[in-house]
Amino acid sequence: MAIRREQLVVDPQKCTGCQQCLIACSMQHQGNINPKLAMLKILRLESQELDIPVICMACDNAPCIKVCPMNARVRQENGTVITNTDVCIGCRACVYICPVGSPAVNPYTGQTMTCDMCKDDNAGPWCVTACREGALNVSKYDMLTREVVRERAGRSRAIYPNIG
Amino acid sequence: MKVVIVGNGIAGNRVATELRERDKEIGICILSAEAVPEYDPCSLPYFLAGNIGKKDVFKKTVEDYQRLDIDIVFNSNVVAIDPEAKRVKTDEGVESGYDKLVLAHGGALFIPPIEGIRSAGVFSCKQLLETEKLEAHNGSKAVVIGSGAIGIEAAEALKKKGYAVHIIELLGWVLPVLFDEPTARILEAALEENGIHVHTGEKVLQIKGEGTVTSVVTDKREIECDTVVVATGVVPGTALAKTALIETGRGIKVNRKMETSVSDIYACGDCVETFDSCTEETVMFQLKHNAIEQAQIVARNILGDNARYLGAYAFARVHFFDTHASTFGKTMRATECMLGKSELIEKQDGDDYLRVVLLDGKVLGGQAVGRYADAIGLLIGAMWRKEDMGRVRDKWNKIPQSGAACLWPLIRLGQLIGPAAQGSHP
Repeated sequence: MAIRREQLVVDPQKCTGCQQCLIACSMQHQGNINPKLAMLKILRLESQELDIPVICMACDNAPCIKVCPMNARVRQENGTVITNTDVCIGCRACVYICPVGSPAVNPYTGQTMTCDMCKDDNAGPWCVTACREGALNVSKYDMLTREVVRERAGRSRAIYPNIG
Repeated sequence: MKVVIVGNGIAGNRVATELRERDKEIGICILSAEAVPEYDPCSLPYFLAGNIGKKDVFKKTVEDYQRLDIDIVFNSNVVAIDPEAKRVKTDEGVESGYDKLVLAHGGALFIPPIEGIRSAGVFSCKQLLETEKLEAHNGSKAVVIGSGAIGIEAAEALKKKGYAVHIIELLGWVLPVLFDEPTARILEAALEENGIHVHTGEKVLQIKGEGTVTSVVTDKREIECDTVVVATGVVPGTALAKTALIETGRGIKVNRKMETSVSDIYACGDCVETFDSCTEETVMFQLKHNAIEQAQIVARNILGDNARYLGAYAFARVHFFDTHASTFGKTMRATECMLGKSELIEKQDGDDYLRVVLLDGKVLGGQAVGRYADAIGLLIGAMWRKEDMGRVRDKWNKIPQSGAACLWPLIRLGQLIGPAAQGSHP
């Protein structure tokens, strides 16, 4: 697989839980306005009143591909990993092994689904367009460098430093 | 250089495809004991149930091997290795020379010495040929011997095909290796609710029938049936390795480069014993993700890398009808003989159940049924990071609002783990 040049990146600090992304995603993929049919999820953490968009990160060494009994998790040309619904039997192994539990479960078919970055659509990811807060962005080229990743991690470290 | 791979399963094929991806010239030959291209044994129960067709079980076609320039030899049952001459031999006397040898022949179903186990009407669900026979069989009453992952999946498949199904489990509860008793009882109740009868702590004494199965006799009852599925566990094959005097224990022993004790011979997949990625103990976690990761290490090292295996980990999901469950790491029962302060966290919310096993404040394992299973991935991460859960407990709801979103996995972990239990386990 060629090295990916793009990835959807979430800035959870900006999410307000408005669900426009879920609506846009379900429109694009299912032709239906139904947040339950979106390929991304918003995790609501009530204790801190946080809304966290959870999206498949298309890991280079994706564990979901290794645990699927039907080999239904398939790497696409754009680097994303999607579920082949011809053979998915809805066991959710991919959900349970995912480091962030990202695969969404279609409540009507029981099959899983994950973000494909709207690969067949020239407009690009609909959720990025729909989000008014700028919580979703497409990172390109050198935005995914080690330096950028470290800076982001550093923000967390500043709040939650290691002791010793 | 010529690489010979014994075994046409997940591990063997992963070695082959990784080698070919990195090196267009290297000679690759797979010796397969079966007569078909690579298929995924994990798919077999779903073929049995009729969810998918036979073609969906396969991962490769014969053309794929040609396209990848992999020499595939079918019906090739390797029985001896000569490490001095660097040759392997099949049971028909066919010899192949190698520069590097990879043992990836997996394990075989353990067949318990029960009278009548060779009768017609007795099947297994571990390999394609047997599963095909079971799928074509016209029965209506089945007894499944063994309640491991394969047993449970075969039971669900037969129930979907309209069979009356009984599961007989020798140990105290279903899926005894992967789950603790309380979690297993929830799964047993769910099986019963779906019409699958479960008998635990029960031993099969005899399979009766003249020519073909008519009933199964246990130490507690006799069950009329016309179909028996043997799902009593997988034993790694060590006989072949022993012909080369390769060190074996319960499985073939390998070092962190997946090398055996004999030079130029590697091993990976169900046939090896290896170490736990977190605790470093010797383990046998014969699961697909471990086979794939081990095979990748073998391929890289054959090509001269110095790749080191990070270790095996236990992870499994159980799914039948509307019940979804998952497990990882150690069960509480497995922790009982370990030194250190163990703590058990349990949560129940209707049909949803979670249990997390901590040792010295660190996640060692977990099991979940229903909604809580969605968080298993987060808990596995905490296990690998050796996260101090005491610290998570202290901090998770004290993180400043401005930065809390960036630390959401820790907040979620804090919610799941909850406050420390009153008192502690020695």
